Amino acid sequence: RSCLSPPELYKSIIEDVIEGVRELFAEEGVEEQVLKDLKQLWETKVTQSKATEGFFKHSHCSPRFSLQLPHRSRSILQTSAASFVIQTGRGFQQFTAAKLVCSCSDVSGLDEAVVSPAEAVLTLLSVGQLYKVNMPVVVTQASGDGNILHYPVQQMFHPLGQASVLQTSLASAAQVNASAAHAAGETLQPQETAVQQAVLFKPSYVEKQHLESSATLVQQPTVNLQEFEINAELNQCSESTEKFQHDNLHTAVFTPECSEGLFVDESLASSSSSVLLDVEGQLDVEHPELLQQQDLKLHITFVLNFHCGDDSQAVPGLFHSCPMEPMEQTESDLPLEKDLCSDIEGISQLDGTGDVSSNEQIPHTKDKEENELVGFIDSEDLRVLDDEEDYDEDCDSSSNIESSCSDGDNEDLQIDIVEEDPLNSGDDVSEQDIADLFDTDNVIVCQYEKIHRTKNKWKFYLKDGVMSIEGKDHVFAKATGDAEW
Amino acid sequence: MAYQLYRNTTLGNSLQESLDELIQSQQITPQLALQVLLQFDKAINAALAQRVRNRVNFRGSLNTYRFCDNVWTFVLNDVEFREVTELVKVDKVKIVACDGKSKYEI
Repeated sequence: RSCLSPPELYKSIIEDVIEGVRELFAEEGVEEQVLKDLKQLWETKVTQSKATEGFFKHSHCSPRFSLQLPHRSRSILQTSAASFVIQTGRGFQQFTAAKLVCSCSDVSGLDEAVVSPAEAVLTLLSVGQLYKVNMPVVVTQASGDGNILHYPVQQMFHPLGQASVLQTSLASAAQVNASAAHAAGETLQPQETAVQQAVLFKPSYVEKQHLESSATLVQQPTVNLQEFEINAELNQCSESTEKFQHDNLHTAVFTPECSEGLFVDESLASSSSSVLLDVEGQLDVEHPELLQQQDLKLHITFVLNFHCGDDSQAVPGLFHSCPMEPMEQTESDLPLEKDLCSDIEGISQLDGTGDVSSNEQIPHTKDKEENELVGFIDSEDLRVLDDEEDYDEDCDSSSNIESSCSDGDNEDLQIDIVEEDPLNSGDDVSEQDIADLFDTDNVIVCQYEKIHRTKNKWKFYLKDGVMSIEGKDHVFAKATGDAEW
Repeated sequence: MAYQLYRNTTLGNSLQESLDELIQSQQITPQLALQVLLQFDKAINAALAQRVRNRVNFRGSLNTYRFCDNVWTFVLNDVEFREVTELVKVDKVKIVACDGKSKYEI
């Protein structure tokens, strides 16, 4: 069993899958190009996810890539280890790649070895804002010339935001490298940028002329950074930025009042219309302006429906209490509210001690409940009334009286409402909590060999797993874990 | 049939997204896409079994455990992952594990 790093493993899996479905595609009459497109799409998406960088050092499992020599070059290149220096926000991380071995004969029909975009990006890991590639290369000539030229080639990869700079810098690097003796040691100043993107790099080596002229191999890495490639990468990366931004989950928050209000509104369809008419009649007489306020009417209807005499329709637990006292204070000015309050007497806890059938129990909770209900109505009234501009003075005064008499109680009422939680509400586990609990970006998908527990001590024996930890992918053959519950 | 649980990985999700695009452009049929996914299941199961050798240890506190349909789901907090000398810490991690003894699809 060989050991492959995540990028290599992914590459091999992609190849296996593509080869495995080639016949299927042919049988379905799908063109070969579609299969190539699938592969390209797949590799691009994996690359864009930036998940193939391993934070575990895999010195024994090094990435490999082949180098393509220019045409007509019949030399065999041997490359020494390439070191990658990657600058991240936390400093440089350096790891060494395996030896790059390239042979012209390995590339069928071609004397060139190219680093394909996918390979380049997969293996030349883009991590932080900038990474510098330092590739010392040893070149030998197979014809027996025996000349060996060492070229530490240093190339700078800038994030896409500075593609033009990249071209310039790489062009200059290429020029420097063209002069063999000065190729080594050229270092471009790193530049920081806020953009973290992968850079598509496709090195190619122009060899022929130098070979023939000097009988030595001159490594002249020129970067063919075509604009369309950069643009394509820019587009891809911009998309990936959008894709891989963690979106905030905006969940609709329903307060108990809202939900209950909604629930009751639905039940209003079956409400007693006669009672509503009565109220409206009274409203017409006393507060014609209020009639125009839909919300107010709804609330009034809401109240009436709750206690319109049809106890079976009553929804228990909707109102914590039925506030009455503030209404009583304004009794002289608001006969309607008084009527409401009197009707509200029946709006009490219908279960437990608040049995609807028994009116005797209501009064002792009447005050508290009345206060809260008035507070509820008044608060809505306030909002509705405040929005209206065509109040007459009477109405304003009455509304002011409402607010004045209820403001002082609002805070208390609201506090009361908050304090009175449903019984055993702490025992409830909402669906939202469960969803949030299992919602995480760090996921391990694997198989278990054994799960052991002693009291609250758990032991995990896992295998064949793929981990996505903080956006980076890792694999394991075996994993052992301990946890305490 | 091989486990499909690896479809919810970077590799699996990217494959599904790619297939979705090809389906949208009507270059392939959904049935063909499904066949590709099945092929992916086989490939990744085999690759993990044959081409990976490393070992990882971890330690943390178990927040939640669930066992349903022979699938364990754990949520751990304050976890440390260690491989050789490397150490990585995360606040929260979810582990989804299928039975390693059975090769039947869940």
